[in-house]
Amino acid sequence: MAEVEDTLKRIQAQHGVIGTIVVNGEGIPIRTTLDNSTSVQYAGLLHQLTMKARSAVRDIDPQNELTFLRIRSKKHEIMVAPDKEYLLIAIQNPSE
Amino acid sequence: MSNTTVTQKRRTLKVAKSSKTLNVSSGVFRPNQSTTKSINPLFSGKSFGSTGDSKVVDKISAQTPKHTAMVVDENGQDVTPHPLYNPDPGVLQSKQGKVFTALDTSLTTMTEFPSIAFQTTNASLTGPFTRSFFGSASASRISQTAESVTDETKDLLVKQDLSNSISDIQSHREEPKEQLRENILDSTANCYLSETETIWLLDIPAVSVSVESEDAEAVKERNNAYTELCKNRQGNDKYVERSMQTFSDASKTKEVQCDSITMVDKAVMCTVWDMYDSFNNISDVSANTVVSSERHEATIPESSSEGHLVHPKRSNQSLSVVSTVSTVSGSSTHIEKMACVLPLDEEPDLQLILQSDKLKQDLALMERVVLANVFQPKLAAYRQLPIIEDPDCVQMVMEEESWTEQSKNSHCPFLERLWDFSCELTMGRNVSCMVWNKKNPDLLAVGYGQVEFKNPNSGLVCCWSLKNPTWPDRVFHCESGVTALDFSASNANQLAVGMYDGTIAIYNVQTSEQTPITDSSDCANLHTSPVWQLTWIDHEDGLAADKGEILVSVSSDGRISKWIHYKSMECVDLMKLKIHDLQWKRHISSLTPGMCFDFHPNDSKIYLVGTEEGHIHKCSSSYNEQYLESYKAHKRPVYKVTWSPFCSDVFLSCSSDWTIQLWRQDLQIPVMGFTSGQRVVFDIMWSPHCATVFGAVSEGKVEIWDLRVSSLDPTLVNWTSPGVNPTALLFSPETDCVLVGDSEGQVTVYKLKNITAGGGSQGETLEDVIQSTLSSQH
Repeated sequence: MAEVEDTLKRIQAQHGVIGTIVVNGEGIPIRTTLDNSTSVQYAGLLHQLTMKARSAVRDIDPQNELTFLRIRSKKHEIMVAPDKEYLLIAIQNPSE
Repeated sequence: MSNTTVTQKRRTLKVAKSSKTLNVSSGVFRPNQSTTKSINPLFSGKSFGSTGDSKVVDKISAQTPKHTAMVVDENGQDVTPHPLYNPDPGVLQSKQGKVFTALDTSLTTMTEFPSIAFQTTNASLTGPFTRSFFGSASASRISQTAESVTDETKDLLVKQDLSNSISDIQSHREEPKEQLRENILDSTANCYLSETETIWLLDIPAVSVSVESEDAEAVKERNNAYTELCKNRQGNDKYVERSMQTFSDASKTKEVQCDSITMVDKAVMCTVWDMYDSFNNISDVSANTVVSSERHEATIPESSSEGHLVHPKRSNQSLSVVSTVSTVSGSSTHIEKMACVLPLDEEPDLQLILQSDKLKQDLALMERVVLANVFQPKLAAYRQLPIIEDPDCVQMVMEEESWTEQSKNSHCPFLERLWDFSCELTMGRNVSCMVWNKKNPDLLAVGYGQVEFKNPNSGLVCCWSLKNPTWPDRVFHCESGVTALDFSASNANQLAVGMYDGTIAIYNVQTSEQTPITDSSDCANLHTSPVWQLTWIDHEDGLAADKGEILVSVSSDGRISKWIHYKSMECVDLMKLKIHDLQWKRHISSLTPGMCFDFHPNDSKIYLVGTEEGHIHKCSSSYNEQYLESYKAHKRPVYKVTWSPFCSDVFLSCSSDWTIQLWRQDLQIPVMGFTSGQRVVFDIMWSPHCATVFGAVSEGKVEIWDLRVSSLDPTLVNWTSPGVNPTALLFSPETDCVLVGDSEGQVTVYKLKNITAGGGSQGETLEDVIQSTLSSQH
């Protein structure tokens, strides 16, 4: 448990990281460094996208599984580590 | 066909057309004069002239007269033929001759008639056709017989007779049955097979008439009359147009009310993985109930991330979760669905998630990903990949320009600082040793511990990964300072740690467990002084029990020991370092402390030992009494001795007497000596890429020497920040990078720029240098 908190803190402290969110299976953020409305927005949108991405991966090969999703945009990069029970989201601006 | 008798007794019938066949056929209708019946009123007045065609065939006559109308005779009996007699026409056909003869003779034969008909069966399918046809056929015959018709009634009589005969047949059906049966049983039956007549299913007479036919004139006249009529029609008073009006009723609206039809939208999306999951879940649902009682489910594939939620205390809850997930996966996943089925207490759920192993792994992965973004150009430079500039950020470009500018402008070799491994754990500690993992070239083990006799604090071993320079992947706390490290080559996860108090421990880096696999603290022969160097050696030629890798250590207590660890560590002394130099004999023990050693890269039995006296001895592991050779040149303790990876004869040694010496193993005096300033040289290492390049670490600076360029001055000097001493040096085996560990706990990664390996064989280059040096000396 402490290890998890430590790692989360370290990730947050990295260069350029804007926020980290851990979302449970219902879409409710359980650990977040951003404000609530932003967290909920990210959680909802990324959940849908992750579902779609997972569906795409598994449609091609049902034995495959989505392990990581990265969305690189102009301003920042959103990284999602999906799982059946949770979503781990980190938003980073690598150019800072 | 024996119809001759038939033809003689021909009845008089109406004639429309003549045909010979008809004559024959008409014999059928020969009346049986013995029976006279009244005229069937039904038949009077019927004209069958329309069917006057030569369609009638002989066989038709043999049929029983069937008529579609009800037939009632004078007595009021219904003589309508029954369906039972369907076979009769066929029968009659076959028994044509006999029938006729029967008809000829007497009533009795008539009575025989049905029985015969009864016995000889034919396709009853012809029955209905013939029956209905008979009506027309008989009529046609009636109309067609060539005889002059005298008696219409006779026709009818014929019909009547036949009908009567049928009735007779009906009534007498039962009686002659038995008689005839007996008779026929004895007699031979002759079967006459004959064709049925043509069955006409549709007969539309032609509308057009041939010009040459007899009716042509009449038809033409009629046609002409019609056309004239049509012409005359207009304006003719005879023809008046008349129209009719139909009344349209008034319309009335009628309303009906019904319940509203509720529409429900239902949609299912079927995907490939959906089907796959359903298939697997059928078998897995039963398995999951067993799973939930265990804790470790890492081995179950894919559809069991449910396993992470399992907690032995909450087996019920987890079961429900398990079943939920398995059903949810069968449909397009809706968060709402999961929400309503999951239990209401969310706190444990949160805790479970945060404690799950998967989250830890994902966090580690996320950390690496984030760091990869941060360190991407540095890592790319490390791996000798081209550095990609980010098109989206302008600031980066400027930084990179300044960064790469320096490298592009200068052609002289320099060290480009990439990054450093450091974290708060390691701050303030002294890096004593560094070693790469033999199997995974990205894994670096760094030992932290004091070198000199300072306050002994606990040591630390950190396993760093290149992918995460900010936090070590593994941290092992040791009781005393770490002075030596080595990764095993055969078991790449085993790390041997030598400590300041003489303990040797072997850790398994796969897990984060703090306790080592084995520890030498129980061994009777353990080192009493700091272990300065450790090496795993592949002992091929050892005893049978020694095959495989062996750990060899050198320590300040003057012993070089070989360690075998099966259950606990045991050591066997390979060599005791006896004092040669009288100057040192004043020490208590008779052994001189060993500081370093190095096994020959080609021959694993020969090794060099550097001692505190400054002597270097070449020893053999199979001979532990005497040194093979001694090299004396250093005045002070030899800190490092290392064979050249390219030339098997050449080795390098460094000492605290400010010098580095290059030796050839057959020469007692060093070939070359290098010194640059009055600083203690802590560590040296040959470059794995270039035979003439080696690196040296001394107080306050890092030097890279290139013997092709100069043997007097280092080719490259990199000063460290004041107060910080670099204490360890490591070349990266795959890339051209150098790692320098310093006394502040930082391990800095530098990239060697503009030092090229050069062409030609490496070993030859070095030998040439040595040769030239030797020749110049003499």
